[in-house]
Amino acid sequence: MTARPDQDGDQQLRLLGDAWDKAAEHWRDGPAHQFGTAQLTPLLQESRGYLEALRTLMDLLETAERETEG
Amino acid sequence: MTGIYADIDALRGLHDALVRYRHAQRDVTARGEDQLTATRSSLAARASRLRAQLELAQAENTACQERAAQADPDDPVDCSGYARAMQQDSERLEQVRLWQQRIDAEAGEFSGIAGRFADLLENDLPRMEEHLVAIIASLEAARRVRAPVSGP
Repeated sequence: MTARPDQDGDQQLRLLGDAWDKAAEHWRDGPAHQFGTAQLTPLLQESRGYLEALRTLMDLLETAERETEG
Repeated sequence: MTGIYADIDALRGLHDALVRYRHAQRDVTARGEDQLTATRSSLAARASRLRAQLELAQAENTACQERAAQADPDDPVDCSGYARAMQQDSERLEQVRLWQQRIDAEAGEFSGIAGRFADLLENDLPRMEEHLVAIIASLEAARRVRAPVSGP
């Protein structure tokens, strides 16, 4: 069974977060801090916002299909 | 040796993770759009089928009413079944229409968010990847390390 796209998106977001945590263990200088705050954090926030909206839409589509079938 | 290059290796891992993330999330956005299109098509087909059913039920009800008007008062014609079918089809059609309107409204709201995310995947993420490549190159140069880095 194929997972919903929002669920796959969540999984990818977790993998990226893990990759950042792993990188941050060894990369701790000024550029690392700058990269984390100015680039990665906004990317993660924007991704979470998109995935939340996608989840809401997918829920709605599933409900519409269910309630109008037959 | 491993300790000296641990940050470079970690950055390479992060770079590769960003590239994978961009491709995977592009696929997620495409599948989301596909699902929206599929549900809209499905509802349009249901609405079309229900309209045809309703027209048939209306015609059958009208014919029944005509028979009832001409029937012997001692042997009345019952049209309640046709009227009930007509009512049910009408209600189901209305329900589908309401869902279509609601999905259009939600999809309109969603498209703004999806557009920003698509822009981020297409423009911001490749810039981040390039930035990381530059940082890795700079670290390698500082330590006179020459190691290949995969492109975005």
